[in-house]
Amino acid sequence: MNRRDRALGRWLLLPLLGLLALVQGYPIAFAAYISFHDYQLTALDQVRWVGLAQYQGLANNSSYWNAVMNTLIFVSGAVTLELILGLALALLLHRPVPGQNAFRAIVLMPMFITPIAVGLMFRFLLNSQLGIIPLALRSIGVEIDWFGPNLALFSLILIDVWQWTPLMTLFLLAGLEALPTEPFEAARVDGASGFQIFRYLTLPLLRPVILAAVLIRMLDAFRVFEYVYAITRGGPGERTETILFHIYRVGFLYFRLGEASAMAFTLAAVILILVVALFYILRRQEAWA
Amino acid sequence: MRSWLMRLLVVVALLGTCVVGCRPAPKGPITLTIIMEQVPDTDVVRKLLPDFEKENPDIKVVIDAMPYDAMRDKILASFMAPKATYDVIIVDNPWMDEFVGGNFLEPLDDRIRRIPDYDFEDFVGPVRKIGVVGGKVYGIPFYNYAVGLIVRQDLFDDPAYRDAYQKKYGKPLAPPTNLEDYVRIAQFFKEQSGGKIYGAAMQPQRGYKVFEEWKNWLYAAGGNLLDEQGNVIIDRPEAVRALELYIEMYKTAAPPNSLNWGFDEALRSMAAGEAATMMSYNWMLPTLNNPQGPAGALAGKFALYEVPGGKAVLGAWHWAIPRNAPNKDASWRFISWLTSKRMEKQRVILGGAPVRVSAMKDPEVWQKGFGQAYYETVLKILEDAEPLARGPKAEEIIQVVGTELNAAVAGEKTAEQALKDAAAQVRKILGK
Repeated sequence: MNRRDRALGRWLLLPLLGLLALVQGYPIAFAAYISFHDYQLTALDQVRWVGLAQYQGLANNSSYWNAVMNTLIFVSGAVTLELILGLALALLLHRPVPGQNAFRAIVLMPMFITPIAVGLMFRFLLNSQLGIIPLALRSIGVEIDWFGPNLALFSLILIDVWQWTPLMTLFLLAGLEALPTEPFEAARVDGASGFQIFRYLTLPLLRPVILAAVLIRMLDAFRVFEYVYAITRGGPGERTETILFHIYRVGFLYFRLGEASAMAFTLAAVILILVVALFYILRRQEAWA
Repeated sequence: MRSWLMRLLVVVALLGTCVVGCRPAPKGPITLTIIMEQVPDTDVVRKLLPDFEKENPDIKVVIDAMPYDAMRDKILASFMAPKATYDVIIVDNPWMDEFVGGNFLEPLDDRIRRIPDYDFEDFVGPVRKIGVVGGKVYGIPFYNYAVGLIVRQDLFDDPAYRDAYQKKYGKPLAPPTNLEDYVRIAQFFKEQSGGKIYGAAMQPQRGYKVFEEWKNWLYAAGGNLLDEQGNVIIDRPEAVRALELYIEMYKTAAPPNSLNWGFDEALRSMAAGEAATMMSYNWMLPTLNNPQGPAGALAGKFALYEVPGGKAVLGAWHWAIPRNAPNKDASWRFISWLTSKRMEKQRVILGGAPVRVSAMKDPEVWQKGFGQAYYETVLKILEDAEPLARGPKAEEIIQVVGTELNAAVAGEKTAEQALKDAAAQVRKILGK
């Protein structure tokens, strides 16, 4: 590439950069601006500079920390379960069986339903009086309060797992199909057991794909909102209040946009750190592989 | 160069003729856009629209109906715009003081005075007062959603239940008028039916729902959120007693595991014949008693009473005109037409929830609507009713108290602790 090409390349970047500045840069800058102000939509004549006060206020805001904890539990629980189930499903679907494509299509279905509808579905499916799942469980003598204080967050995790394991499966399946066949044939000739092949060949070779899939799911899971909104509204008490739902409450129910922006920035910071860490690991492994 | 100049001249000339020759288009009808909620009361208004457009051929009305949760931010966005998206809005009672405080609504006193037979005082007092802020009228009552006690009258009239209750408690079985009786009767129904019929379908969902239900209990126990001077009194002993009884009810007589139940689930439970009572909006009664409605064969077996203690939680929607609305006169023509005595009667006959005393006392309404007893009970409920919270921070107060109440019902905290925490947060919100 000569110098002229490079110069041209930079010029060609301009429209995209301009667009990004307009639709992403400006809102983010404005959010940063109001996060340093006491900015309330219903009192716009009383906007005033408060510096870091809103960020400092978060430090001893117990509702905020509770929401952060709930979100971390939700993300780690949901993504771990999705990875395990997704990997198992991907391995199963990877085998050549008759009707393979039909199986794959069926497995992928939950992903295509809009999350708010999934939330409403499970709100009634898991309802103790009206739902079919508690009815079935009762017939074998099991009584579970799905949305009680102890299980509510876990139930939301299960719903997320139901809906998003297929995505994980899709990624991992694509990864499996892209793997070279020679090492596996060699391993089989050398007499390696199925488990040994999985442990020492499949997993290491699949690692970049696993990391990418986990990363994408994590970023998505941080934004959990619909299930909470449709089912528990953050209850019982504050047991299922997630960070995004909390931001929604402060920003769009109380209209305290300054405080909500400050919270959103802390969330963005956490996510950014995670992304950088994961990319770092990913890079190192690629170098190693 | 010359041809370029020529072209420019032609364009300018054309524009010039247009400025001189193009007269403003003949004035078409004004279009009023109204934001409303997707609820039966909106459908009733829709049915009346052709009459309005016939009487006012220069106005066209477009209703933008949406789910409740989408409304608040849309209305606010419309306030912020240089020219309002909505010519007429409806305002839920917790938003009224907030919107007036933000200087978003048009005062209506002068407009009301200009219509001689409007009779503003005919709107039932507690509902009317929600729309009056700082002595000025900003909202005209649209419909009420005050809470009443809906019961399965057939169960209360069933001789088997009556005899068993008489034998057990030494007094006749009747819809409860105090909290202790309510809990006892609910427990009785559950026991007597062998657990097939729960005593009360409750709504302990976090936030608005649990507070909306429990505050009736708080009134019955003689408590309130604030006293006359505006002090927070939700942590007083009578409030603790109300919450303890509410929790006892939930644990012993409500459908199990119904901690996240809201309005839908309670209605379904009632309609499915699984519950003997529920505290809900008074206009749920016609829905339940409608043979084509959700209750099917049970339709006609439900009756409405005042909540135990008599004082109810009041909810109401009001019509209002945004300050930045472009055609305020047309907006007011619509509002004053629909809320006039004449149209209120039509609206209530079509099934709308009443807000005018004259409509609730009108024999024609009784006969064509849901019967004398129903409207008389609704009037009694409305006359002694108070909203969940007032002031510019009402929405936040409701959410905060509703979170603590739900935590107490879930067993996360004691009733006393939850109310103490709720009171502390409300004091903080109010800056006390």
